[in-house]
Amino acid sequence: MKTFIYNFRYFIKESIDIFRLNLISNIFSLLSTGLIFFVLTLIIAGWNISSSVTEAIKGESEISVYFQEGLTESKIIDLTNSITNVRGVESVNLVNEDEAYGRMEKVLGDDAQVLSFFEDNPFDAFLEVGIELTEIESIVDQISQMAYVDLVRDNKEVLDRLSHMSDVLNLVSYLALTAVGITTLVIMSHIIRQGIYHHREQINTLELLGAPKYFIALPFYIEGISMTLIGGLLSLVLSHFVINEIYIQVSGPLPFIPMPNQGIVMQNLIIVILGLSLVLGFFGSAFGVSSSRYKE
Amino acid sequence: MIEAHDLELIYNDGTVAVKPFDITIGAGELVYITGASGSGKTSLLKLLIGSEYPTGGTLNILGEPIKKGNSKSIHKIRHKIGPIFQEFRLIKGKTSMDNVKLGMRFIGMTPSQIEEEARLVLIKVGLEDKLNIKVDNLSWGECQRVAIARAVARKPSLILADEPTGNLDRNNAIKMLELLGSFRTKETAVIMTTHATHLIEGHAHATYIHMDRGRVNIERQGKSY
Repeated sequence: MKTFIYNFRYFIKESIDIFRLNLISNIFSLLSTGLIFFVLTLIIAGWNISSSVTEAIKGESEISVYFQEGLTESKIIDLTNSITNVRGVESVNLVNEDEAYGRMEKVLGDDAQVLSFFEDNPFDAFLEVGIELTEIESIVDQISQMAYVDLVRDNKEVLDRLSHMSDVLNLVSYLALTAVGITTLVIMSHIIRQGIYHHREQINTLELLGAPKYFIALPFYIEGISMTLIGGLLSLVLSHFVINEIYIQVSGPLPFIPMPNQGIVMQNLIIVILGLSLVLGFFGSAFGVSSSRYKE
Repeated sequence: MIEAHDLELIYNDGTVAVKPFDITIGAGELVYITGASGSGKTSLLKLLIGSEYPTGGTLNILGEPIKKGNSKSIHKIRHKIGPIFQEFRLIKGKTSMDNVKLGMRFIGMTPSQIEEEARLVLIKVGLEDKLNIKVDNLSWGECQRVAIARAVARKPSLILADEPTGNLDRNNAIKMLELLGSFRTKETAVIMTTHATHLIEGHAHATYIHMDRGRVNIERQGKSY
């Protein structure tokens, strides 16, 4: 430890010298690492956002219950009470014809003028039922069999699709992570091996002078870890702009999509990408150092 | 300091580099290893620095046995050895100071001790005006002095020099031998190989190891330091 502290500046200077010795090649490797991490960052961001959106939608799961036309107010109250008693139902809210019309106006936005072509309000009143998503099938089944119920509309299909998309992104993320991991390990170990090859005489001299193995290897580890960390930072900077643009594009025209907080998404990405850079840099360097033969 | 018994070195291709011999070298001794090219001088030096292992007999340096699989001990021993290689093995692209400091960075010296010792030794070998010059820009003789400074600055118990007079004319060779001899102290032994026997003959208080095709003949003159 004492040797490490005494020689900290030397190790940093050595690792810079190792980087500079093969400057162009190392710069290209750095850019490649940055771009590889950039792809990974986007995939992880997509996975993170889609998971959050799916979870948010699942948390707000609702079904719409349409009842027979002309039902009296007391029967609507009876139906509401019966639905409330079904296991898994969290809330029941009556949406009358006017409110249904208003909601559609909001959804259509500028295109809402199309509704003026109708002489009468085309929308029926319905019951908006908040549910636990895990109970959806039994709830729909029970409500469908109730008296006066015409139709139960659920969004299960949409939720299933979202879940499926999230699962696919999950799988893609793991595959990308594996691919990026292997690629980074190969690139780093290659760079380190090159560095060791170019410094073989120096390494051999240090060995003859009695330098411990860690003393010889440390600059190479610093080089490898620094390169992956810089690559990771580069990818985060690029991703910041891209994700910012995606949020602008999505939150404007599609305000109903419950996007997670952008700051939290970036914060998670910073932790994951820098952590990965550190780990991959370390193991890439370790592989490079251990697989090198620098004996003259 | 060095104890060898029936020490022998045979290379993998069957070449007998050092034939079995016994020797004890104490602290403060001055030892010349002489012989023609190919006589086994450098092989013996390689054994002493632990870059070759004995194929027969035993070798103990500074209390540690030199044998295969004993790399920890060999690293420990190397901290106490100041080697001066025939081809110097200086690090290109680094200054004289950096090269000398490099040899001291892992033997427990503080940065200020390293800085001070490197400066003092470089001044002692006559390179006070070349401290911050890259070794790539130094002459052959200056590089040799940097190599000596790197070996000596570590305050070793044993200085090993391989053909330090190799490319020097008579006057400079004598100066080089005197310079190396000046680093011999009560605690520090100096062992050097040379084929310039005419320059070292009759040197009092020295041990001569004459080598001829691996055969070792030891001659002592006077006492150790």
